[in-house]
Amino acid sequence: MFIISFLVRRLAQGALIIFLVTLLIFTLLRVVPGDPVRLMAGGMAPEALIEQIAKEMGLRDPVLVQFGRYMSGVVRGDLGQSFVRPASGASTGGSSFGDATRGERADVLTLIGETLPMTLQLAFLAIVFAMLFSFLVGIPAGLSPGRWPDRVAFYVSSIFISLPGFWLGIVLALILSVKLGWLPAIGYKGFAYTILPAIVLAVELSPVLIRTLTGSISSAMTMPFIAVGRVRGLSQRRIIFAHALRNASVPLLNLLGIQISGLLGGVLVIEFIFDYPGLGLLTINAVLQRDFPLIQGIAIVTSAIFVLINIAVDLVATLIDPRLEY
Amino acid sequence: MNSSPVLSVKNLGVEVGTGAGARPVVSDVSFDLAPREIVGIIGASGSGKTVLARALVNWIDPPLRISSGSVEYKSQNILDLAGGRMRLLRREIAYVGANPMGALDPTLPVGRQIVEKLSAVVPGIDPSEARKRVIDLLGAVRIPSPRLRFDEYPSQFSGGMMQRALIVDALISNPAFLVADNVTQPLDVTVAAQVLRLMRELTERFDTAVVFVSSSLPTVKEAADQVLVLSEGRIVERNTPQRLIDAPQHPYTLQLISQIPKIWTSEAVAVPRTTSAAMPTISIRDATRTYRVRKRGTFAAHSEVRAVRNVTFDVMPGENFGVVGESGCGKSTLMRLLSRLEFPDSGSVICDGEDLSKLRGKTLLKFRRDFQLVLQDPFNSLPPRTSIGAILEDPLRVHGMRNAKEIRERVLAVMAEVELPANLYDELPLGLSAGQRQRVNVARAMVLEPKVLIMDETLSSLDQTEQFRLLALFEKLQAQHGLTYVFISHDLAMVRRVCNRVAVMYLGEVVEIAHNERLFFDPGHPYTKALLSAVPTLEERRYKPEECLLEGEPPSPIDLPPGCSFASRCPHAFDRCRAESPTLTARNHGELAACFLVETTGTRAAA
Repeated sequence: MFIISFLVRRLAQGALIIFLVTLLIFTLLRVVPGDPVRLMAGGMAPEALIEQIAKEMGLRDPVLVQFGRYMSGVVRGDLGQSFVRPASGASTGGSSFGDATRGERADVLTLIGETLPMTLQLAFLAIVFAMLFSFLVGIPAGLSPGRWPDRVAFYVSSIFISLPGFWLGIVLALILSVKLGWLPAIGYKGFAYTILPAIVLAVELSPVLIRTLTGSISSAMTMPFIAVGRVRGLSQRRIIFAHALRNASVPLLNLLGIQISGLLGGVLVIEFIFDYPGLGLLTINAVLQRDFPLIQGIAIVTSAIFVLINIAVDLVATLIDPRLEY
Repeated sequence: MNSSPVLSVKNLGVEVGTGAGARPVVSDVSFDLAPREIVGIIGASGSGKTVLARALVNWIDPPLRISSGSVEYKSQNILDLAGGRMRLLRREIAYVGANPMGALDPTLPVGRQIVEKLSAVVPGIDPSEARKRVIDLLGAVRIPSPRLRFDEYPSQFSGGMMQRALIVDALISNPAFLVADNVTQPLDVTVAAQVLRLMRELTERFDTAVVFVSSSLPTVKEAADQVLVLSEGRIVERNTPQRLIDAPQHPYTLQLISQIPKIWTSEAVAVPRTTSAAMPTISIRDATRTYRVRKRGTFAAHSEVRAVRNVTFDVMPGENFGVVGESGCGKSTLMRLLSRLEFPDSGSVICDGEDLSKLRGKTLLKFRRDFQLVLQDPFNSLPPRTSIGAILEDPLRVHGMRNAKEIRERVLAVMAEVELPANLYDELPLGLSAGQRQRVNVARAMVLEPKVLIMDETLSSLDQTEQFRLLALFEKLQAQHGLTYVFISHDLAMVRRVCNRVAVMYLGEVVEIAHNERLFFDPGHPYTKALLSAVPTLEERRYKPEECLLEGEPPSPIDLPPGCSFASRCPHAFDRCRAESPTLTARNHGELAACFLVETTGTRAAA
């Protein structure tokens, strides 16, 4: 019962948030300078034709009317069609004046549907790597504050946080694929292509996770019930794994929620470097081409993912610590 | 005591630090604990009680260190035992501490954690058998509906309930002896008395010997067969409780006994009755305050916490008015209403003839100046990074004083008045003692020359000696400035010493208002009697706990039962009490009590 009411409440809030994000993105895209029709039709297209296409596409209507039309499609699961990309694949536009009709243009939903799983796979693997590494380094550090495991954790996370992702990506690609030939790096032809970018992302993620884990474990270990637990006869292992970690996991979870959201932004650079065909690469191209429907679609989908992740994190946190109220 | 002792402590010494800087905390303590015996250990704060209690269960962590002696259980020194073997002995050696709310993991159900302990010290016990035993014992310590409580979380337990659950936790493995360190200290008086009675009962039933550590001699007297007096880590006197109180030998014991407040004996100060003045300074009329709390697991349902219900009373100028009651009775909400931090949902608070809810702008500032608040916690109520002078200057600036020299002079004058040395002006509050911090708090209120000081548990964090000094200061200030005090407190002994009139609150209602002497010698409400029967004192009690004190804790202010809110715990409750709620009824001399028994005696007198 608690879970159902929680989900209903939070999902309703989430829907409102997504609606507001959509409105914001939609309006901003129409306020910034630059005419997408000019880009679509090509620099040499006559002015009258551009006006005609724009009118046909409804781009000269008031912003709110356009938004209403767009939202009614979104509710039915139709995110519109790309301005630029044909259904066949390669992107068009640019300087040449093609007569491509809109019917042949790619569905935004299809474009996102093709790339999102790739990015989710990358993000998931990055988080698994980051968590494994953070637990290995962070738990011993939290259990012995001020001693050598703590210092190791501090140095490791200091170094990791100072490494720029794009630099690390290039260096790792050079060493692990070019020199040693252990892992493939550029493009995507199988799961192995995910590993290298995931490592780079994990290195970016783990410093904050390690710091949080170290801090929350060492503060959990100073709680009175830990010391009393020993006097009550609990074994050290039970105290650490059943009680200290449990209490330390709530701050970690909250952080993870933010980090995962941040990660979807972080993949932009990494996917570009490794030419990894995910949502990040799609976003970069959509922005460069002023592909309004695509940008909007990506924004809606990512904000929905943010909202869902945070609901999931809060739900798990309340299940761990019943005192929390969300 | 002819049987061999359960526990034998020999020349035990504990010190803090190492090498040349080491300082003894406990020195040369020796005593035996016979089977089924209860040994009390008493001492003021800082006497080494807690360290000694922990040493007895082999819980000495750095920087503390055992410097000498042994704690022998079953003819082995448990202080030498390695972790694993000591852990198995935890089945026979139990400990209950002073902080019940922190003792269990807040994220797991209470019952499950007790089962966890049981299976840790009794490996291989059947889980369903363990569960059954825990539920049985939870029932034995009179936790209502133990089956449901088993699955509830520590935050859903009140302090008293939690302390009972921890007693279950300690006794579940049937230990040979139990060390109880200040177990009643954080509890309200009526609950503390219940817990004490329960511990005595259970230790008899389970044949457990107890080391009972406490800072309150009256509490130890109730519990122990033998008392050791601890001063600066040494045992200075040992005797049976009665002989210790009747004929204390050591000056330290004498001092401890002299600090215990008197309530009924002639030594108690007589507080003058107030003359009825023309207009009350504070007049609270039928005030009610309800908080809405979202119900967990529902969409939009709220529960109503009725914190203050239909409270009506007047405070006359120059009076010391006391508001007493146990935690959760609405004292602090009342304070928030009186100080205009919140408004009542219905009813009104009238100060100096003006309704607080109508005050705006200048008149509001004037009210703030006249009615000042002194809070409970001396540590969190002062900004840690502001100098004391600046803390005291602030209210003057808020109230429009601009001349820096005048401000400084005024602050220094107030500091002299509350007996704070002038050289603290530029110091941070960091190094101050609790007593000095409370003086800063009083000075911060006094600097505006108010008419009324509202003291919300101002003295409860101070030890007896410091309390005496501050009360003397309050008296002096009152004589000089004609102040009116409202003391909000749970400490009946303190109220007995200073208040002219006292209102007793229970579950958000005022159940009795009476003058000091009448309240303590002839209370009109059974709840007042219960409170009086549980006050820790060495005097012979006017009200016997056996007659007045009932089991149970106040019902939750969320689901108030119909009828009198005290009916569920009242020894005199009859059918009418469970159906309708009594209102405050005049006894005489403007003394009021909300009880049907008062009415019947009244009608009988009239007939």
